[in-house]
Amino acid sequence: MISTHWAVISAVIAVIVAPLIGGLLKGVDRKLTAHMQGRIGPPIIQPFYDFIKLLGKKPMVAGSAQLVFAYGYLFLIITAVVFWAIRQDLLVLLFILGFAGVCLALGALSVKSPYSQFGGHRELLQLLAYEPILLLAAIPIALKSGGFPIANIFEYGQPLLPDLWLTFIALVVALVIVMRKSPFDISSSEHAHQEIVRGIVTEYSGPYLAIIELAHWYELVLLLAILSLFWIVGSLWWLSIIIPLACWFLMLITDNICTRLTWSWMVKFAWGCGITLVALNILFVNLHWV
Amino acid sequence: MIDILLALSILFPVLAGFICLGIKNHTARGGIVYLTTAVLIITSILFLRQGSFPIEYTPALAWDWVMLVFDYVILAYFLFVAIRDFVRRGISRHNVLTIALTLASGIPLALFEFSWAPRVPLEAHPTLFIDHLAGIMCLVISIIGSLICVYAIRYMRDHEEHRIHLGELRETNQPRFFFFMLIFLGAMNGLVFANNLLWLAFFWEMTTLCCYALIRHDETPVAITNAFRALWMCLIGGVGFTLAIIFSWNSPLHTISLMEIINSGALAYPALLLPLALLCLAGFTKSAQVPVQSWLLGAMVAPTPVSALLHSSTMVKAGVYLILRIAPGFQGTNLSTFVAIYGGAIFLVTSLLAISQSEGKRVLAYSTIGNLGLIILCAGINTSLAVAAGIMLIIFHAMSKGLLFLCAGAIEHNIWSRNIEDMEGVARGLPILSGITIVGILSMLVAPFGVLITKWGAMEATSGIGVWSTLILILLMLGSGATTVFWTKWAGRLLCHSPLPGAAKAEPIVPLYHGILLLFITCAVVFSILIAPVYNGVVAPALAEAGYSPAFTTGFWFLKAPGLGIFAAWPIFVVVAFALMIPYLRVRAKPEQSRAAYMCGENVELGTDAFVAVADERTELKTGGFYAESILGERNLNRFIEPIGIILLIIMFAMVTI
Repeated sequence: MISTHWAVISAVIAVIVAPLIGGLLKGVDRKLTAHMQGRIGPPIIQPFYDFIKLLGKKPMVAGSAQLVFAYGYLFLIITAVVFWAIRQDLLVLLFILGFAGVCLALGALSVKSPYSQFGGHRELLQLLAYEPILLLAAIPIALKSGGFPIANIFEYGQPLLPDLWLTFIALVVALVIVMRKSPFDISSSEHAHQEIVRGIVTEYSGPYLAIIELAHWYELVLLLAILSLFWIVGSLWWLSIIIPLACWFLMLITDNICTRLTWSWMVKFAWGCGITLVALNILFVNLHWV
Repeated sequence: MIDILLALSILFPVLAGFICLGIKNHTARGGIVYLTTAVLIITSILFLRQGSFPIEYTPALAWDWVMLVFDYVILAYFLFVAIRDFVRRGISRHNVLTIALTLASGIPLALFEFSWAPRVPLEAHPTLFIDHLAGIMCLVISIIGSLICVYAIRYMRDHEEHRIHLGELRETNQPRFFFFMLIFLGAMNGLVFANNLLWLAFFWEMTTLCCYALIRHDETPVAITNAFRALWMCLIGGVGFTLAIIFSWNSPLHTISLMEIINSGALAYPALLLPLALLCLAGFTKSAQVPVQSWLLGAMVAPTPVSALLHSSTMVKAGVYLILRIAPGFQGTNLSTFVAIYGGAIFLVTSLLAISQSEGKRVLAYSTIGNLGLIILCAGINTSLAVAAGIMLIIFHAMSKGLLFLCAGAIEHNIWSRNIEDMEGVARGLPILSGITIVGILSMLVAPFGVLITKWGAMEATSGIGVWSTLILILLMLGSGATTVFWTKWAGRLLCHSPLPGAAKAEPIVPLYHGILLLFITCAVVFSILIAPVYNGVVAPALAEAGYSPAFTTGFWFLKAPGLGIFAAWPIFVVVAFALMIPYLRVRAKPEQSRAAYMCGENVELGTDAFVAVADERTELKTGGFYAESILGERNLNRFIEPIGIILLIIMFAMVTI
């Protein structure tokens, strides 16, 4: 474990810097997507402009419960980011992330709106698809680094990716599902869908939509940070920034070339492909083949 | 002192039950229940304050004779009700199986006790054995069980009023109801303290009797059928018990003392594997694991206090208690790994089935079976961390699931329906009740509540056991994902309402409902925050007595599994309070900010849930939950899981006999 001194500093830096990085990544996402589609696209810092615009709008609310859960989602994601920064138990971090996902789904389910209900139930299916992969992926990491706390990964001293590349691939699949990018943009999407409008965030507007956007930025950075754990130690530590960004770029390309698929395909793919990859990795680690 | 405590915890409820049977006055009967509650709670706390553990106690031989006689009385009663049902309703699978299994259990038992055993009655030293695990179970039974009986005072009154109103009932059945509820509490206390397998079998059959009588309480044809189903499925376990006694006597140890079997262990004495597997079978049937899970589902027709007491917090815990207790006995054997895989498979399958259920109590039933599978998994992993997780899961699950059943009952007595779809938007009319229900649901699902901490412990414990951990972990994680779906969906249905102008009608407050529910939820939250002292106070001594090394260190009230991980319970509670409670208390939508939802049409007006659609017609908005009946429904899954369950059990017995 790192000392309390460093823990507090890391936590504060993480909480301040993460949304800036997240917003910037969203901006670059939109710019690159636009270029892939033959457009010029908005400026890179457009997400921040949008955030400020949303904050200034008059709130329109379809029930108090959705507000509570929007705050809950934001604060729990921030907690998970802090847990990463202070190198706490990875499994506990993932459980908090799961709680945040539950809050998001409850925020949507608490409104009697057809699109919100669709989005909320589909979000539960996305949880069903990605949560087992995330939780299971913690196991080979723990087996290799000698414990679940993230601090153990730093103490282990060697990069995990050469041994745990199967887990890494499964985590990239999970990343796409969590970020709700095609082909897994089933509960919501950055571009409105024809039949479910904006899904889980349909009934959020103004400042509360801004809160959800902010939480999405934190979530993106957190997932990339979890991917970065695979090469964060050693002399080539700068790869821990390049590799997650490469995965993020891969996710971008996939988003642009894929169309949305069905929820049952998503669950089958995640459980079949994702779980199998991680299970093989756990087996190999237990058999001392890696 | 110990004899007085034992008499109070086992015999006093039986006496109170008989008194209730004779009392016609509702208030006096309530008084007896309150008295029993006080006596049981004080007694259970006093047990744990005794000096040195474990405490061994052997009552006079006369009591062994009492057990012997009443054991056959109960078996004879089972035969009697089956024959009476056969006479009244003709031959059916249920009464034939009941008669067959009662004979299969009773005849070998009689042969053993009267001709094979050297003495009649056969004693074991000590007869009663009180250690921390038994003490924990006694606390759960006495505190949670008695509070459920207190809740039942009001619940049964409303229940019978409703039935009389519907013309289904003519005169009150409450004396008989409270009789069985109270003697059940005494039987459970006896069960957890028993060391002599014959005594354990007696108390086991007594809980089966109470279960049968209470499921049957409403005397509708469905209730009678389901009561018989519960009876014969639990009798399978009874047969297992009888055979376990016989085989354990025939083993080189020549003993029917549970502690002697456990302390010797199956590694040293392979002949003990079969009796241990038979005791596991008894535990599986009592805890309604696959393939006998349908008895617990069928038992949901009973009044809600029965479901809360027997079928979530107490009786089904007897099965997993037995398996946890004998776990040190089969440590290191293949049986242990098998038990873990079996428990994990049940956790996954029942979590998937629960997604498809739209009746609230059936969701709770499947979730209960799943969590019992999780405890069995912990017993199978058999490391100190896993067993600690299993014991703590017993405590926390009893609190949370008992609470949820009582909430479901209270909601049912407001909207007169058990269907989750009918509970849509109940949060508007019943804010306190649905608030408690939602916190209860969260307490089963999310960090940092106790149930999740134990799931964390089980996962971390499983990661360390080698190659089989891969399979078990897959089952655990997939099941965990599935539980998120059905719990969140239920909470969402409770909350789903559109903003209505003006204040809602005030919620009718019923002290015996709301008071008990608030007590339960406070306990669930407080004990989750205080998980480290709970561990140090009762679970750590229980582990030490069973021969396991300490599972956690608890600096700062965190739970640290040495070399594995750390769970900071109370800081996360602080975070959750900040993230959810403060917004809940401070953030309110102002009336002028309220808008109806977007319905892709011109809304009619705020609060009417209608929009103008085709041909300018006013169309009502209807929303519904996601159940995936065709994929995850019982009709689809039961035809796979029940045969697989039977095959798994056959494999288990093949493994121990070959």
